[in-house]
Amino acid sequence: MSDTESRTDGDAAVTARIRQNLEQTTVEDVGLYVVLLVMAAFYLVPIESGLVTSFKTGTAVIETAPFAPPGPSGFTLAKWQAAVDALLRGMGNSLLYAVPATVISAVVGSLMAYGLTIPNWKQAYKAPLLAIIIAGIFIPYQAVLVPLTQFWSQWVELTSLLSFVWALGIPNDYAGIIELIVTHVAYGIPMCTLLFRTYYTNLSEEMIESARLDGASLRRVYRRIVLPLSGPMFAVVLIYQFTQIWNDLLFTLVLVATESSPAAPVVLILAGLGSSLEGQDFALRMAGAFLAALPTLAVYIFFGDEFAEGVAA
Amino acid sequence: MATLELDSVTKVFQDGNDEIVAVDDVSASVDDGEFLVVVGPSGCGKSTMLRMIAGLESITSGTLSLADRVINDVKSQDRNIAMVFQSYALYPHMSVRENMSFGLEESTDIPDDEIQQMVSETGELLGISELLDRKPSELSGGQQQRVALGRAIVRDPEVFLMDEPLSNLDAKLRAQMRTELQRLQDDLGVTTIYVTHDQTEAMTMGDRIAILNDGRLQQISTPLECYHKPANKFVAGFLGEPSMNFFDVTLQDGVLRGDSFEYPISSDVQANLGDTTDLVLGIRPEDIELVESASGDHDFETVVDVIEPMGDENTVYLQFDPDAGEDAETLIASTDGFTRVPEGDEVIAQIPEDAIHIFDRATGDALHNRSLDDAETIDLE
Amino acid sequence: MFDNLRRLFAALSPSSRADEEVRPDGGVVSEESARQPDSGSDPGPVGRVTEALNSRFGSDFTESSVFWLLPFLLMALFVYGAIIWNLLISLTDYRGFANAPDYSNLDFEMYARALGDPGFIDAAINTFVLLIGFTGVTLVVGLVLAILIDRGIRFENSFRTIYLLPMSLSFVVTAQFWLWMYNYNNGIVNSVIGVFGLGPVSWLGNQAVVLPAIIFALMWQFSGYAMVVYLAGLRAIPSEHYEAAKVDGASTMKMYWRVIIPQLKGATISAAVVLMVFAMKAFDFLYSLVGGYRPPNGADILATKMVREAYANLNWAYGSAIAIVLFAMALSVIGPYLVYEYRRDNL
Repeated sequence: MSDTESRTDGDAAVTARIRQNLEQTTVEDVGLYVVLLVMAAFYLVPIESGLVTSFKTGTAVIETAPFAPPGPSGFTLAKWQAAVDALLRGMGNSLLYAVPATVISAVVGSLMAYGLTIPNWKQAYKAPLLAIIIAGIFIPYQAVLVPLTQFWSQWVELTSLLSFVWALGIPNDYAGIIELIVTHVAYGIPMCTLLFRTYYTNLSEEMIESARLDGASLRRVYRRIVLPLSGPMFAVVLIYQFTQIWNDLLFTLVLVATESSPAAPVVLILAGLGSSLEGQDFALRMAGAFLAALPTLAVYIFFGDEFAEGVAA
Repeated sequence: MATLELDSVTKVFQDGNDEIVAVDDVSASVDDGEFLVVVGPSGCGKSTMLRMIAGLESITSGTLSLADRVINDVKSQDRNIAMVFQSYALYPHMSVRENMSFGLEESTDIPDDEIQQMVSETGELLGISELLDRKPSELSGGQQQRVALGRAIVRDPEVFLMDEPLSNLDAKLRAQMRTELQRLQDDLGVTTIYVTHDQTEAMTMGDRIAILNDGRLQQISTPLECYHKPANKFVAGFLGEPSMNFFDVTLQDGVLRGDSFEYPISSDVQANLGDTTDLVLGIRPEDIELVESASGDHDFETVVDVIEPMGDENTVYLQFDPDAGEDAETLIASTDGFTRVPEGDEVIAQIPEDAIHIFDRATGDALHNRSLDDAETIDLE
Repeated sequence: MFDNLRRLFAALSPSSRADEEVRPDGGVVSEESARQPDSGSDPGPVGRVTEALNSRFGSDFTESSVFWLLPFLLMALFVYGAIIWNLLISLTDYRGFANAPDYSNLDFEMYARALGDPGFIDAAINTFVLLIGFTGVTLVVGLVLAILIDRGIRFENSFRTIYLLPMSLSFVVTAQFWLWMYNYNNGIVNSVIGVFGLGPVSWLGNQAVVLPAIIFALMWQFSGYAMVVYLAGLRAIPSEHYEAAKVDGASTMKMYWRVIIPQLKGATISAAVVLMVFAMKAFDFLYSLVGGYRPPNGADILATKMVREAYANLNWAYGSAIAIVLFAMALSVIGPYLVYEYRRDNL
């Protein structure tokens, strides 16, 4: 509620400033737009250059300017074809862990944020707990890698624990996918909790109290009041988490290890794509990069506002 | 039946190393079906008291019982108490119908069709039947207020708690809802505790009013008794607008000596005072008569300083000794709206002895209250 | 999950209370005992523990624990359990193909080795330079962008979307783009500086420029983020402040420098902390740049060295020790930040 209010206030201020600007269009304003466009070019050029390059033949890559589109003779879809062949399996694998891990961590984050925000227990105990959780967002993952490897290879050996699954003919490399789900959920919890918590602290306290007085237990309050009101935040968290998990290389590198594995995620294959002894095939690399970025780019283009909200929190 | 009993209820908040006593040793008993208005200045602990009854705040010490059952440790959701909040606290994602049925669904096993029946009936009672399928955001403030009320009523709880429910309405709607609320409460006969800072609401709505100050219960009685027979100086000053005039006086030989005047009192009045000599004399503005000429020793010469015409009455600020400038003691009197008293004029203020209140200056306790012998129409009980 | 817990509670309660209603909150409250709490009836061991916990931590403590306890334990195990374990491993001599470290003989040998390893010192210095350089440059660019966008321009949303676009891409993808941008023969960067008669420069091959080049690429990716944070900060400043400064006769530059930017302290701190964390995670970028564990010469940072030592050279204990150093660096940034937020009651 208050959110929309402040936004309209902001809009009013902005319109006022726009009006002011329209009344006196000056050299300064022209300069402003030139700078803005130059900056836009700066952010777009690497992407644009990658895109045009991905459609070029080997000769065109060398002969045409890197940002110029390929001529009719230099145009080819072969690199995209090759990239799809190389990456499609990886994209499937990535979805296999990114989607469940995203959904689980969002749900868990919502539950946890609710339990740490709305129920009535002492702030003196809540605050340190929250500090511990939030600090978890900022841990460099290198600090947990070796134990993580130990944990999954010595303590919880999914390859042997789930032998009945591999007996069905599924390559046991897919244990890595399950490991990735659990790992991403565990490390995603702090951020998801923080995002939901910010949202829940802004819910009307009287409304929650009213529901308690109406006879609803904490569980029912969550189910019938808080969860239905969490929709917008779920969008933000799902988008944020999906982008993070899809894009992460480090954990896949450590848990799945080789790009030749049948369970290799797309980032792992992409990191080694197009480099061989003869040199680097940039057109193929660019095509691969775009293919791998496709899901997150789509999410960004369709849900840009939610994405901005997620990163700004 | 649902008698609500507070026995030495105390609430202490910890603020770092400081202890803040929000509610201090309050004992009160609210009878079944009674309408009790809790009133006091902001920060007096009235909302905390209400929230303790609701189970939204823990009770530091003392016991709270409902129908002879101690409910200190019973959670809000199990208390069968309904509360109307100042902000209404409607569930924004639910329609009015869902808002009203929520409590019944959560707290009872009543089948859905019966719940719908009850919601419709309550909707009719409150005249909001045509709003049942709307969302709260589509309602006006007054309509939201009715829904909040309906949500509480439909549950048929043992106790209604209301936390300044009318304060977000405009003045006209507020007056209208005040009457309607009273009528509803009379019809439903549910024990109601109503918190407000508005003394008009306090005086007009409650069967009894409880006046709180600094977390302490000052007086709990019928509105008129609190008004005419205040237990102490705080209550006397809190109720009434403009508020009671107070003068520090000392009793000497049957005369109350103040800075600007001397007021002889009869032996009957003096008998109530005991040995106390450091006193405060109180007189309500409407009890002061403005007369042409002094005729007794309860008449005082004053000068009109300021006059505030209110239409139906005038509030007149009188000074005993205009030469004293800033320090001059002021007396406030209410006169009817047609009396013309020009500013600067000398008038005689008559302070009738049967209307005076006398308080102990040290404790604030009322030692003598006005007599009501000639006020046969007033029923204090 | 809830149902299991409820069953667990029910199972733990004395069987004589089977007739009682099991509350959804997991506690057991009979109508009888609630009516006569002083009758001396025994609430059972679970009830007593629940009561004791609630009176210590607050009335909803046990009921709410269903929501946060399990996820908290999972998170604590994977984050803090793992860090402690990592610390332990760093004190062993664990290396090679052995399955598990030998915890019987703990010493600080690996830390001593790090101090004597010029590669480690270089990586530490590079990490520091990357952290400071990247954070500083990104904040400045982000602030400028935010101020430009906040001047009531048209197409504000389009500009903002474009500036934030690289942030949605993964390190692995942006590394491919910049590999191509920095290409010696065909890269755009060399074409651009060629216009001014400079270069070509081997951006990723020359030790002197590789780190700045990487900082520049990372800035490209994350300055949009800094912009978003600053934009939120700017929007929170009431427009009266702009007007007051104008009325006072301040020039636009002066107004921003003296009135607006000082009010962005909070935004700067939170953006800086997050950017530093991104910088410490730059491993993904450097790995993808070369498709292997060894980043370009002169661009090795602790994050890459740690992974290389552990996973390429199988020096597990040494890698763990480097990880602990990295963690300490992170902690020295995060610790004060969390204390700052706690003091402002933001937790």
